Amino acid sequence: MLKPTKMTRVIIAGTKNLMEPTIATFHRLNVLHITDYSEEGVDFKIGKPLKPASKLSEHLLTLRAISNQLGVKGKESPLKQSSKELPSQLDEKITKLQKEVSSRFDELRNIEFKIKEKEDLASAVKPFFGLPLPLEAYMGYETVKVYTGYIDADIEPGLSGITKNYELFTGEYEKRKILALFIPTAYEAPVQKLLQDERSYVELKVPPLKGNPPVIFDELTKEINILKEKHAAIKSELDNIKKEYSDFVIGADEYLSIETQKAEAPLRFATSPNAFIIDGWVPARKYDEIEKQLNEATGGLVYLTKTEEEVKEEEIPIELENPSPARPFELLINTFATPKYREIDPASVLFITFPLFYGIMLGDVGYGIIVAAMAYIIKNKFKTGGLNSLALILFLSSILSIIFGFIYGEFFGFPIFNVVVKGELEHGLLGISGPAIAGIHMPVHRFGEVQSLLLLTLIIGIIHILLGLVIGFRNHVVEHGLKHAILAKGSWMMILIGGVIAIAKLMPAVMSKLPVPTSDPVFVAGGGLAIIGLILLIAGEGFISILEIPTLLSNVLSYSRILAIGLSSAGIALAVNTLSMNLFIKPDGVLMGKGVVLALVGVVVLFIGHLINLLLGILGPGLHSLRLQYVEFFTKFYEGGGKKYVPFGYNRKYTEE
Amino acid sequence: MVADAGMIAIGAGIAVGLAGIGAGMGEQAIGAAAVGAMAEDEKFFGKGLLMTVIPESIAIFGLVVALILLFVFNA
Repeated sequence: MLKPTKMTRVIIAGTKNLMEPTIATFHRLNVLHITDYSEEGVDFKIGKPLKPASKLSEHLLTLRAISNQLGVKGKESPLKQSSKELPSQLDEKITKLQKEVSSRFDELRNIEFKIKEKEDLASAVKPFFGLPLPLEAYMGYETVKVYTGYIDADIEPGLSGITKNYELFTGEYEKRKILALFIPTAYEAPVQKLLQDERSYVELKVPPLKGNPPVIFDELTKEINILKEKHAAIKSELDNIKKEYSDFVIGADEYLSIETQKAEAPLRFATSPNAFIIDGWVPARKYDEIEKQLNEATGGLVYLTKTEEEVKEEEIPIELENPSPARPFELLINTFATPKYREIDPASVLFITFPLFYGIMLGDVGYGIIVAAMAYIIKNKFKTGGLNSLALILFLSSILSIIFGFIYGEFFGFPIFNVVVKGELEHGLLGISGPAIAGIHMPVHRFGEVQSLLLLTLIIGIIHILLGLVIGFRNHVVEHGLKHAILAKGSWMMILIGGVIAIAKLMPAVMSKLPVPTSDPVFVAGGGLAIIGLILLIAGEGFISILEIPTLLSNVLSYSRILAIGLSSAGIALAVNTLSMNLFIKPDGVLMGKGVVLALVGVVVLFIGHLINLLLGILGPGLHSLRLQYVEFFTKFYEGGGKKYVPFGYNRKYTEE
Repeated sequence: MVADAGMIAIGAGIAVGLAGIGAGMGEQAIGAAAVGAMAEDEKFFGKGLLMTVIPESIAIFGLVVALILLFVFNA
């Protein structure tokens, strides 16, 4: 918690004949973060892949192509396959699959192409149903020009102005007039112009076929149907192959990926003609176990040692370590930046503050329940990865929303308890007045208590920023020493605390037009503290740092968004409710008789309004709560720039050792 | 007084409206850049979304001023 996992740098050295068992052991353990060897020296060079590497990757490539063509997808609870049996089947099965799948796949593409071609022809033939000629009659002339196309106007008058020597066939296809015009080539130019001037003319290309259009069309349709049957048959054959082999394909893919990874591992080692050296990092607590396993696998002939050699902090790989409830919040940390090795990992802090801010903003029992349900469904659908973490974060946040919903007494914007706001009684859904907990009378009505809630959000902000400064102080002590920490972070804490005390005393005096309370010891102490802080700050960072002071003020004010976002969400809910209830649903007699339609409109308004508000209610509080963490909180201490811990290994899903 | 209440309401409206325009001008540039970054690499979605809401502070300051006007001064 709060700190990344402690790492130990290890050096592994051995003779080359022991390289394979060493690789296998570390791959199985999945703990070693290898530092790639890149400086080629005289004695040591970057290693060469193990022998089977090229064969393995070739297999993998073929298999992935087949898997793509078959559309094989990973399953959630697969049958585990033994890595001992797989290798013996690989050659035979992959060759067989390739032969069967590729040929069928090519045939499928071929048939699809043919179907497309025939369908195009069929649709080109169709318009000629409207004309009484067989298709061959439209082509093959030397001295006759043929025009075919759609046309709306009668062109005969214009045509007879050019020549009497023509033959015109007209008909209709799908309510559009269609024509076929035969003229001697001598009149081509004027007729062409005539047709071009007639705007409704759309030329039709005659498909290169022979026979009567309906007959041809029937034939084409038959051919298409035969092709489609063939297509379906091959497809079902492929489906059968997929059913039979998909387990194998998934398993073999994983097996080959693992083996390729192992075979290519020496590319990251330093090797001489007879020896190899691996440089890397392991979590400190796992060192003894690793030593034991390695000795067992190699008979103690491979040398493993810790090294205390100084390295740059950025070189140490970072694995975040948090209790499981806080682990989803590591996603938010990694989105921002991976912490450095000696920095505080704030995931556990976010575990408290993120849902808290979210809950205070969205506080509504109804919305909270819906968000919780949605998060629960997503969490169960995606068991791993970013979406799972996000769903868990949302789930925690929605629980806080429900709790604050009770405190505010809001259920989809409707009051839960009876409450008096500005002298008027609002009837709650439960019809009772709220209980009093710890001296605070529930519900705390958000619109009625704006002033005190605003103050509360600012206090939350001051505490949050102070916490950030405290963490920053600790980071500075570790990295640069106590003096630097006092100058850089302690000064800010003094300015913040002293400033807040002084302003708290100053504001009431200014509001009631009293003189500045210079004789009040609390005011003097606060002001003094702030001034000492300022002096320390200037001593540490120079005069330019004075420019940073307004940032502190805007940081604190920024927390007022906790109230503002909440109020706008509650305001929209209230508006939707008032609109639908008072305008459509409640007016007298609506539910009986003619007002039913109006009531339905009201329900639709209610539903859509709350749907939109709910979407905004997930996005707004989520983003703004995160922003308060990233912009206001993290900037006080977080540097980041660490390297992520990526152990050499594989999380097996479909195979077992 | 009715006139005072009206002036306060107008003031609140101006505070929210102008702050909203300001925030919008800021978000316009960031949003365009964020969409550009996302077109290059979809992984920027989260970061882009976050960057885009940063100027929203301005709108929120406006909203807070309006709330103070409406609920504190109007009371």
